[in-house]
Amino acid sequence: MQGEHLQIDVRREQDRIVLRLHGELDLASAPLLQGAIESAEAEDATLMVLDLDDLEFIDSTGLRIILAAHEHSQESGQMLALTRGSQQVQRLMSITRAGEHLRIIQSPDEQLV
Amino acid sequence: MCTPTPGAILSLTGAATADATATIMAPCAFDVETEGDPISVNTEPVNDAAVELLLEAGVALAASLDLTTTMGQVARLTVPRLADVCVIDLLDEDGSIRDVAVAAAEETIARDLEEMRSRHPLDPEGEHPVARVIHSGEPVLLPEMTNQLLSSFAQGSEHARFMIDHGYRSAAVAPLLARGRTLGAISTLRLGDGRAYGSEDMDLVCELARRAALAIDNARLFSRLRGVEQRLEAILVNLAEAITVMDEHGQMVFANQAAADLLGAGTPDQLMSAQPGTIMPRFQVLDEQGNELALASMPSRRLFAGESPQPLLVRNIVRATGEERWLVVRSSPVFDPETKRIVYAVNVFENITEVKRVQLNESFMAEASRMLASSMDYAETLQQVARLAVPRLADWCAVDVLNERGEIELVAVHHADPAKLAMAERLDRRYRPTLDDPTGVAEVLRTGQARIFTDIKPDALAAYAHDDEHLELLRMIGPQSVIIVPMIGATKTIGTITLVSSESSRRLSSADLALGERLARRAGTAVERARLYTERSRIAHILERSLLPESLPEVPGAEIRARYSPTGEVNEVGGDFYDLFECRPGCWMLAIGDVCGKGPSAAGVTALARHTLRAAALSGQSPVEMLHTLHRALRLQPAGADLCTVCLVLMTPGLDHARLTVSLAGHQPPLLIDRDGTVVSLGEPGTLLGVVDPIDLLESDAELHVDQTLLLYTDGVTEAGRAGRQLGEQGLRGLCAQTAHLTLDELLEHIEHAALERAGGGLRDDVALLAVRLGRGGPGSGGPAPRGAGEPREAH
Repeated sequence: MQGEHLQIDVRREQDRIVLRLHGELDLASAPLLQGAIESAEAEDATLMVLDLDDLEFIDSTGLRIILAAHEHSQESGQMLALTRGSQQVQRLMSITRAGEHLRIIQSPDEQLV
Repeated sequence: MCTPTPGAILSLTGAATADATATIMAPCAFDVETEGDPISVNTEPVNDAAVELLLEAGVALAASLDLTTTMGQVARLTVPRLADVCVIDLLDEDGSIRDVAVAAAEETIARDLEEMRSRHPLDPEGEHPVARVIHSGEPVLLPEMTNQLLSSFAQGSEHARFMIDHGYRSAAVAPLLARGRTLGAISTLRLGDGRAYGSEDMDLVCELARRAALAIDNARLFSRLRGVEQRLEAILVNLAEAITVMDEHGQMVFANQAAADLLGAGTPDQLMSAQPGTIMPRFQVLDEQGNELALASMPSRRLFAGESPQPLLVRNIVRATGEERWLVVRSSPVFDPETKRIVYAVNVFENITEVKRVQLNESFMAEASRMLASSMDYAETLQQVARLAVPRLADWCAVDVLNERGEIELVAVHHADPAKLAMAERLDRRYRPTLDDPTGVAEVLRTGQARIFTDIKPDALAAYAHDDEHLELLRMIGPQSVIIVPMIGATKTIGTITLVSSESSRRLSSADLALGERLARRAGTAVERARLYTERSRIAHILERSLLPESLPEVPGAEIRARYSPTGEVNEVGGDFYDLFECRPGCWMLAIGDVCGKGPSAAGVTALARHTLRAAALSGQSPVEMLHTLHRALRLQPAGADLCTVCLVLMTPGLDHARLTVSLAGHQPPLLIDRDGTVVSLGEPGTLLGVVDPIDLLESDAELHVDQTLLLYTDGVTEAGRAGRQLGEQGLRGLCAQTAHLTLDELLEHIEHAALERAGGGLRDDVALLAVRLGRGGPGSGGPAPRGAGEPREAH
């Protein structure tokens, strides 16, 4: 999938569905992510991974979508995990302390107990 | 009637007759071949009697074009001096021979002969002398006719009997020859004992025949011409196009009824009897651009001047009534066949008023619509429309709108005459209509119905005027006809357009009214749209002002500055906010925050945030408590995560420094900038508000010393521009270090500029800055801070 400056690659594994983000996630490209997450939720995999390693930029709108997905996953029982992402992503997670409420993994294929 | 001089060119001159068919005859010249001297014949006449006969015949022939009359006269002239019986036969178009005149000394013989001929018409191929003469074109002289001879060419036994009984003795039959054709024959007969015809008699009869033939031919030609003329006239008279024929002196020699109607005469006769040069002044004749056209440029005039003029489009206004017509005038020459000179110009006037009006109206409406759609500044576009309407539609155009106070406001006025424009403006502004005026703009505003006054009389003007000066002004402008049309928005009349035509030009008509209404409808929609847009902008600005402090309070000993640059269009409210207020005596709360998103819903959250924080502060809560309160308020909001980040700094200025308590909720830490360029960030990260639970918030203490600057900012500053180009937190710190020595305004200017410059195609998020600098002793210059160098900027 491609927005103006966001591209999302979807990879389905046996136990998980991985959404790999490339580019910039902001107000303009947020709807694209929203749509991808909703489709992924419908896939009904055990785990959804948001791979942010190639994401150059994220702001509060992107964060909001991720946090909403997190809340949704709590309700549905599906797990949601994020990779750490770039410096900028990590910085935002740190400033907002949103990372404390999310499952952060080292790599998209990391096995979760 | 023809009154020729013998021997002269016989011209048939027509004059307008007053009969019902309004026969108009153009002067035409017929050459009737007579020799200069009527007396000269092929042989010398032997006696005066012959001369006299020919003279009398000439007179008779010229006196009338009625063949029956003239032939009868000629035949009678020959009896009895030349013959006992004279018969004139003509060859009909179907080839039969018909007697047109019979004369005899005795009446009974003439009648009997006619009867005989009708019962036994002559065989054109037969042996009868008349047939032979007609056939050959050669005269036949039968000096002595025997019974046997008579029988040989008789048309049956009865005919033979007739001729023998009546004593047919001698005959001279001459052909009627004209222009190379045999038209018939003249037969002279002597009966009984009369003298036999000789060759001299034959010559005389031939001469007589020659003249008669010419007269017959001319008469026939004329009759044919008359027939053609009548047919032509029947066509021309009834044509819808106006047709006139002018001669080189400007005299109109032909006009049909349509022309009479067009040129304001009752009938074609009245039109043609007018003196040359008296018709044109009845009209104002203009070209398409509105310039007067001279007589010399009329196609007919130019034809006579030797040119080949193109069809001319003319705008013709009847001076008396002000009626306007659009005509295409085409002129074609009629040449004299002999001299090849132009003798007449045939003018055809095609009335294209309807077509032209539609074309002009459509192009006007297209242009007006384009103007009205081009800008949201409706006062300016209405002024443009008023200029467009003048002078095409009228001499004077004014646009009034009803404002929210119920007053009638003039938004546009234009006059064709610049001198009169000043007058019109003065008049409009001094004598402003009010809604309770009985007539005029007020009436149309109240009723929503258009009004047209086609012909304004002086006393109507006097009745309308408020006072003498008003009347004087009105008189100077001289309105002749007025149209007032309502500009109707979605539901009600929002204004009017007034069109006034004055003395010089045409009356305004119902066609103008229809166009005016169309224009007003279009203008009404445009004005309403523009107003809504302006209203939305105004609301947005009001909202924005309520989201941000109107002015920043003065903090003793400190300099406060703020900057705000929203993203988005003029109409979109922003998602960032800042605030500064004295929460308790000597204690100031600085706040900066970022609500996710933009537009009305974000504005709602922004308002909630600002006012909740204020309320919480005023009720004595600490920064952390305030943030918790806001968080709970946000979580209570229905639907959607109302994410919000906030930075709070509680500042308590003391003797030589200010104490600071910093609490952060998901927001960038404020920077403490030393004059020497040292930059440190304050506070500990705390959870963002409104989306997750539980939240963890911390307070930290710091100090602000003299010449130090405290800077609060939103991520719009650090994240402006595409990834990789952004200022970032490091970049901001570096910039602050470099500009620490500048004035506070300059420092903020630099930061704002750095962000906007990187933004390039558009800010991703609002840019908000709030800064405090502690001054050197004494009350600092707080004062109202400019909100983003004036009004919020347009998106870049």
